Amino acid sequence: MRFSRRTRMAGIALVAASSLVLAACGSDDDGGGSDGDAVISVYGTNPQNPLIPTATNEVGGGDPLNNLFAGLVSYNTDGSVENEVAESIEGNDDSTVWTIKLKDWKFTDGSDVTAESFVNAWNYGANPDNKQLNNYFFYPIEGTDDIGNTTGGDTVSGLKVIDEKTFEITLKKSESDFPLRLGYSAYFPVPEAAYGDDGKITKEYGERPIGNGAYMLTESGWERNKQIAMEPNPDYDGNHKAQNGGLVFKFYAGGGADSAYTDVQSGNLDVLDQVPPSALETFEGDNQVQAFNEPGSNFASFTIPERLEHFSGEEGKLRRQALSMAINRDEVTDKIYNGTRTSASDFTSPVLDGWTDEIEGNDVLEFNEEEAKKLWAEADAIAPWTGEFQIAFNNDGAGNREFVEALTNQITNVLGIESSPKVYPTFDELRKEVTDRSIQTAFRTGWQADYPSMLNYLGPIYATGAGSNDGDYSNKEFDSLVTEASATQGDERYELITDAQEILLEELPAIPLWYANATAAVSTDLKGFEFNWQQKPEYYKLTK
Amino acid sequence: MWWYVGKRLLQTIPVFLGATLILFSLLKLRPGDPILNLAGNKPVSQEVRDALAAQYNLDDPLFVQWVLFVKNAITFNFGETFSGQPVFDLIKDTFPVTVVLAVMALAIDAILGIILGTLAGLRRNGAFDTVVLVISLILISVPIFVVGFVAQLTFGVKLQWVPATVGGDWTLSELVLPAIVLAVANFAYTIRLTRTSVAENLTADHVRTARAKGLSNRLVVRNHVLRNSLVPVVTYLGINLGALMAGAIITETIFNIPGVGNTAFLAIQRGETSTVVAIVTFMVMVYVLMSLLVDLLYAVLDPRIRYV
Repeated sequence: MRFSRRTRMAGIALVAASSLVLAACGSDDDGGGSDGDAVISVYGTNPQNPLIPTATNEVGGGDPLNNLFAGLVSYNTDGSVENEVAESIEGNDDSTVWTIKLKDWKFTDGSDVTAESFVNAWNYGANPDNKQLNNYFFYPIEGTDDIGNTTGGDTVSGLKVIDEKTFEITLKKSESDFPLRLGYSAYFPVPEAAYGDDGKITKEYGERPIGNGAYMLTESGWERNKQIAMEPNPDYDGNHKAQNGGLVFKFYAGGGADSAYTDVQSGNLDVLDQVPPSALETFEGDNQVQAFNEPGSNFASFTIPERLEHFSGEEGKLRRQALSMAINRDEVTDKIYNGTRTSASDFTSPVLDGWTDEIEGNDVLEFNEEEAKKLWAEADAIAPWTGEFQIAFNNDGAGNREFVEALTNQITNVLGIESSPKVYPTFDELRKEVTDRSIQTAFRTGWQADYPSMLNYLGPIYATGAGSNDGDYSNKEFDSLVTEASATQGDERYELITDAQEILLEELPAIPLWYANATAAVSTDLKGFEFNWQQKPEYYKLTK
Repeated sequence: MWWYVGKRLLQTIPVFLGATLILFSLLKLRPGDPILNLAGNKPVSQEVRDALAAQYNLDDPLFVQWVLFVKNAITFNFGETFSGQPVFDLIKDTFPVTVVLAVMALAIDAILGIILGTLAGLRRNGAFDTVVLVISLILISVPIFVVGFVAQLTFGVKLQWVPATVGGDWTLSELVLPAIVLAVANFAYTIRLTRTSVAENLTADHVRTARAKGLSNRLVVRNHVLRNSLVPVVTYLGINLGALMAGAIITETIFNIPGVGNTAFLAIQRGETSTVVAIVTFMVMVYVLMSLLVDLLYAVLDPRIRYV
């Protein structure tokens, strides 16, 4: 999942007991006072890309897409996975070849969802000629390069259509939790009608996509800079059957969550899934809204690259540990975030299956002034500290300046060194220097998983040469533990992940800070609000 | 006079070229890479990068980008935003609401400002004048976002007289509150400007002559004092229409108005060069045309001014 200025794209969704499939959710009788025909208005922003599954990588387009399309699997609210379009997903013995059989589903234009609907869409997304921003998601599949672009030819060699309802995926290496990925929007199917004569997905389709999800666009559909309106898809028979009469994603200019919050207070908007900083202190006591505040799946950290002076080898390890202990996370989450962040005790997220806060060595994430000073002095014995310790941040994300200032002040107070924030005006200016490795300071980093697996928080960021390994961290032992965990099932897998995390806690390739809570303000008459594991509302369950 | 108008319109051509060239240079100086913004922290392949850069001419030399822009602009083709919407359509969607908002604010500003300013000027140093001065000082001192949020909370959320926000389906009545908020700061300046100008003209020779001719006070004020006093005020108001449109961004954000200020802000943030240049160029043109209009109005207000 991309780590952005402040928004993150929702990938996935679903609930605890998979048997709990809210029987037929009859909307005809309003005896209970709830009206199944109510159209729910929810917060949104104008999509930045065409509404094509492989082209959309930000929330503005991602939230609508997740309601318009259905993937091979769907996510329950707790992050567990259930087959949706897939009848079965079977791996071979070493989890490298997956055979997928499909149920009989239709797109809303009446055409069948076939093996080709998936395979063609994925081939399209992986082909760099098509400039799709989600190419990254195809990298595990044979026939693509490290970042998911097709190699040798226009199609991905690891994708094979067997018959109309069956296809086969060959992976580069074994991955036992591969099916967990398949509910993400990049893997949605696209109907035949989407492609023009030149084989490209047409502009018209990008504006008015035809999907197979719980909802379909209404007549008015996507009105630029205004809203996206959708109604329940009458033919949908999956896990997320709509219990309301439709959704309207109402756009807020400039992502202005402030005005959206006022709209919830005054009853003009039903759901705001992202409480603005200005209301964080008060929203839980505001009787004009229903407030929700729960730990989320969003992990925040800062990274000190190995190549910085004083941060390599043994000296670097000691200094990272000292810095980590010099930070009082609880103070920041409490004073700056008003309890809407939870101090981190590992590198993943507490909402995931198998998460534990009992990892050996995670006391390095606790504030400990004495120990911090001692470790810093030990590092000074190797090579005396010179210069200033800076943390870079982008100033276009709300609250970034405040927390970075707090961290650098704490570091100055505890370690007695010069420390200050380094400002980058925009997200892309910071990312440019991080990406071309020219940045000369520590910098803020973060992660939101693409699919509900702890491995997704580890491999893509800290494995040697991984795509989002901004600090160029490399540790053979960690790499092999992650690879092994990828090929293992059950509790044994969680033990391997814990072992891998112990290595990270020792070496701190990134210094964990906190998990962002999911916060929402919801109108007082709305029912059925629940966060999924991706910090997004379960849109289909909302009623009035 | 038509010769004058034609000459002024011809002058807009170098203004257009100069403004766009400056805008391109400034945007080129903006560090960072718009494509990374699109990609987040996911790796982007060189091929995808190059293809996107080519589509938006991001890697061409500055001068080439500019020439391409001007060439296309002549046919009203301003390229596309990153989401594939033609920039021209985007402007067409966002300008009307901003124009309506700005004109409403300007009307409030002009009507109230001129009336109160004239009354204050005629009764200089009286109780009314003092009260108006103090109020205008307060209005100038309070930042627009304070006025905006307070007005929204009071009238939109607590009293519910008006909708708290405007949104995509805007109507005139929904825009009244934002227009008042937008007018507030300017309105205080208009009062002060009118007041000073009226007070000064009251002692002018031609006013004394008019009184000596035995004209009624009303006629003197209307035809001789006010008309003359309005020259600086009209300049201020005219230039202000441009400022109101460009400066509406705060008001637009508070009240969720899908106008041009917000659109420009978002485009700058994302580094969408073509969108930013097109929008700001439109703004520049509005300024140029408004100042032409203001110059022509001078002749109407002050008979001593002639255009040949």
